[in-house]
Amino acid sequence: MTTDELTIDGAQGEGGGQILRSALSLSLVTGRPFRLVGVRAGRPTPGLLRQHLAAVRAAAAVGRAEVEGAELGSGALRFAPRGLVPGDHAFSVGGAGSATLVLQTVLPALMAAAGPSRVTVEGGTHNPWAPPYDAIERSFLPLLARVGARVTTTLERRGYFPAGGGRLTAAVEPGTAAVPLALSARGAVRTRRATVLLANLPRRIAAVEEATLRRLLPADLWTIERVTEEDGRGPGNVVLLDVACEHVHEVFAAFGMRELRADAVVDEAVGAYREWLAADVPVGPHLADQLLLPLALGAGGTFRTVAPTRHTKTNADVIRQFLPDVRIDLVADGAATTVTVARR
Amino acid sequence: MYRTGSYSIVTDMEGRPTTVVGFYGSVLDGGPPARRWDRWRPSVSLVGRDDLVVARFVLLCDAATAAGAQQVARDMREVSPETDVVLREVAIDDPWDFEEVYGALYDVAADLAVDPDREDLLVHITTGTHVEQICLFLLTESRHFPGRLVQTSPPRRRETPARGGAAVIDLDLSRYDRLASRFERERQAGESVLKSGIATRNAPFNATVARIERVAVATRAPILLLGPTGAGKSLLARRIYDLKRQRRGVTGAFVELNCATIKGDAAMSALFGHAKGAFTGAVAERAGLLRAADGGVLFLDEVGELGADEQAMLLRALEERRFLPLGSDKETSSDFQLIAGTNRDLRADVASGRFRRDLLARIDLWTFSLPPLRERPEDVEPNLDFELEAASRTLERRVTMSREARAAFLAFATSARGVWAGNFRDLNAAVLRMATLASGGRVTEADVREEVARLEEAWAPVAPASPTAADDDLLAEVLPAAAVAALDRFDRVQLADVVRVCRGARSLADAGRTLFAASRARRSSHNDSDRLRKYLARFGVEAAALFGRPS
Repeated sequence: MTTDELTIDGAQGEGGGQILRSALSLSLVTGRPFRLVGVRAGRPTPGLLRQHLAAVRAAAAVGRAEVEGAELGSGALRFAPRGLVPGDHAFSVGGAGSATLVLQTVLPALMAAAGPSRVTVEGGTHNPWAPPYDAIERSFLPLLARVGARVTTTLERRGYFPAGGGRLTAAVEPGTAAVPLALSARGAVRTRRATVLLANLPRRIAAVEEATLRRLLPADLWTIERVTEEDGRGPGNVVLLDVACEHVHEVFAAFGMRELRADAVVDEAVGAYREWLAADVPVGPHLADQLLLPLALGAGGTFRTVAPTRHTKTNADVIRQFLPDVRIDLVADGAATTVTVARR
Repeated sequence: MYRTGSYSIVTDMEGRPTTVVGFYGSVLDGGPPARRWDRWRPSVSLVGRDDLVVARFVLLCDAATAAGAQQVARDMREVSPETDVVLREVAIDDPWDFEEVYGALYDVAADLAVDPDREDLLVHITTGTHVEQICLFLLTESRHFPGRLVQTSPPRRRETPARGGAAVIDLDLSRYDRLASRFERERQAGESVLKSGIATRNAPFNATVARIERVAVATRAPILLLGPTGAGKSLLARRIYDLKRQRRGVTGAFVELNCATIKGDAAMSALFGHAKGAFTGAVAERAGLLRAADGGVLFLDEVGELGADEQAMLLRALEERRFLPLGSDKETSSDFQLIAGTNRDLRADVASGRFRRDLLARIDLWTFSLPPLRERPEDVEPNLDFELEAASRTLERRVTMSREARAAFLAFATSARGVWAGNFRDLNAAVLRMATLASGGRVTEADVREEVARLEEAWAPVAPASPTAADDDLLAEVLPAAAVAALDRFDRVQLADVVRVCRGARSLADAGRTLFAASRARRSSHNDSDRLRKYLARFGVEAAALFGRPS
């Protein structure tokens, strides 16, 4: 294994946090140090932000890494891991940064570590612009389990933007994905469930959302549930659409926001679901993004998804830099794309 | 990916942990708890930022607001688990009472004892009453809170996520580029005033002027100008006054006195005034120059020439702003800034008892030396232009110089021949003479030649012919003329002084005691007579011949 330092351009493609998180995961597992330059160059607030630092700190703890430039506003970061540390880890991310993104950053490393781990992450579990906890638990991790990983998670407390304050834990048994993934079709749909999460907000918001869901989704196919929390903490509203199929479980989420009408939240979630439905592929765009890295580090595989986003392409480029002997092919097939991850 | 609103980054770039001090805002942070997350709450927004991690937040509240502050502290901890939110109740009964608020915050500052090398302190001034905000500002400006002010602002319409803004207000104005360039222009204008608009090129002189510019604007303390006669002390003093007046540093008049021109009662009276009948001829009351300079600037040139009584009075007037006019039993007061000028070595005058040590200490606070003109050869040309303009105004006709005339004059003025004994006074006179004599308003090479001759004659040394002439005469009495001529100037002065001491002494030992007095005091000289004999022998001077002769 080479220990030459890699230079990653933080300004390539989509830029920003995803490049950083992928580089951290890959560096931890491969042991290869890297230097990230041009972090969020040209943005109104250039350099590392608080949520990025939370990921760097978590990765540094898991990999006993030497880190330079891990400061707010820093435009360059050097990260050199010195060996994985399984066991108990606790991280927190403030400013309602995403706890799920921190978990995803360290997960591949803990799977590759020599012993079992237990990770607690405090922060936002249901943030816009990050996968909600439910998608990790019910969509991403079951696929990981299918290729050999043994990860179980628990949601102790939800944390919504902007208050945060949620908590999740993950128990990780060692063992990387040993079996290639083959996911070309959804198979038969087994259940369809829509859930309205409502925390510390007026109930009429949930009522409007449920009415909209009933109007847009066939009542005989969908069950509609409501989860309300009144604990005096921060407010939150999420509409989740769970579709459990024979070969895949997809979660579509939309987040209630101030100044966003309740029915518009439902429209957004249902719109994403319908796009996936029309594409007739098993893997939606967010899940495709999440799968690339564990497959590249494991036994590879093939899956069908929608046309790749810039995000996915950037992610693939970073993986190729760390793992030059891994091929990632994105082959268009009408509106769909077949993604193949394989060692040469 | 988070989309970012447009706000200014407030991060500390030196990597120190950030501490925030700020009031719990009962209006902005408080309010009904039910919809609190829908509102913009300044204290909560500051710990929820993506571009700032607050390690410690000291949230100030008083007894009346403590309950609301506790709720907000809980929410802040939830938003930012990394932040140690410390609730601090301060003893303020009336948050609009300046004295009470200032005192309470002064105690907070002393208590926190923030070390700016280890913590980056931000003082949050968006919350609290206006009086509380003003007191936070004042204590930050005075560095009791050694940090920067931070101001938060509500989110703009459609800002996603709705975090709002935060901007640091650094009270070090030089850090703001546009302000800095304005200050720079003002500074240059100020220096130009001090230089009477002359674009001087001499680096030490320009550096001195730059320092004077800063001091003149900032202080009312005495300024001491050193420099030979004609170096421009008087003009500079007036320019300092002009500059202060421009910047509203003075409201009173510029009053000037050359202390060498006036002595005794007349000096006393001129400076401090007198009562009617204070002395013969004091037929009316006189206010005096100090009184006239009230609120303004008093320039005392040749301050070393002041008599002992005047020095004592001046010292008192400087220290207490009060003095007693001559013959009066009623004290009068004046608040003036003193600029003193001298070409004397006042330290030596203190040593010899001519000048009061305490007065020198009082006026020797901001001391600036003006170099003589011959040490500023590069400034002759800009000053020549300035003097030509001045002469044109005086003569009421435009006077110019031919190119050859200018070159000839500058060549002379900047050469070793340009002694400039009277400095700018000589230059001024020279140019005025040439301008007056110039036919057709144009100074020619011939005019310059004539003026150069006049200057050289004026500067010609009167006597002695050589600085060591007196020594040479003395040495000629103990050594052959050829031997004297063969001596280096270095040895000549030393040997002459030794001979002079020997002549006045009873014996070799007596002379040795005088000559090696310092060594003797340190007990590092044992045989002075022998040391002296050997020294004299080196030059072939017979020691015995020096004694027993009439001096």
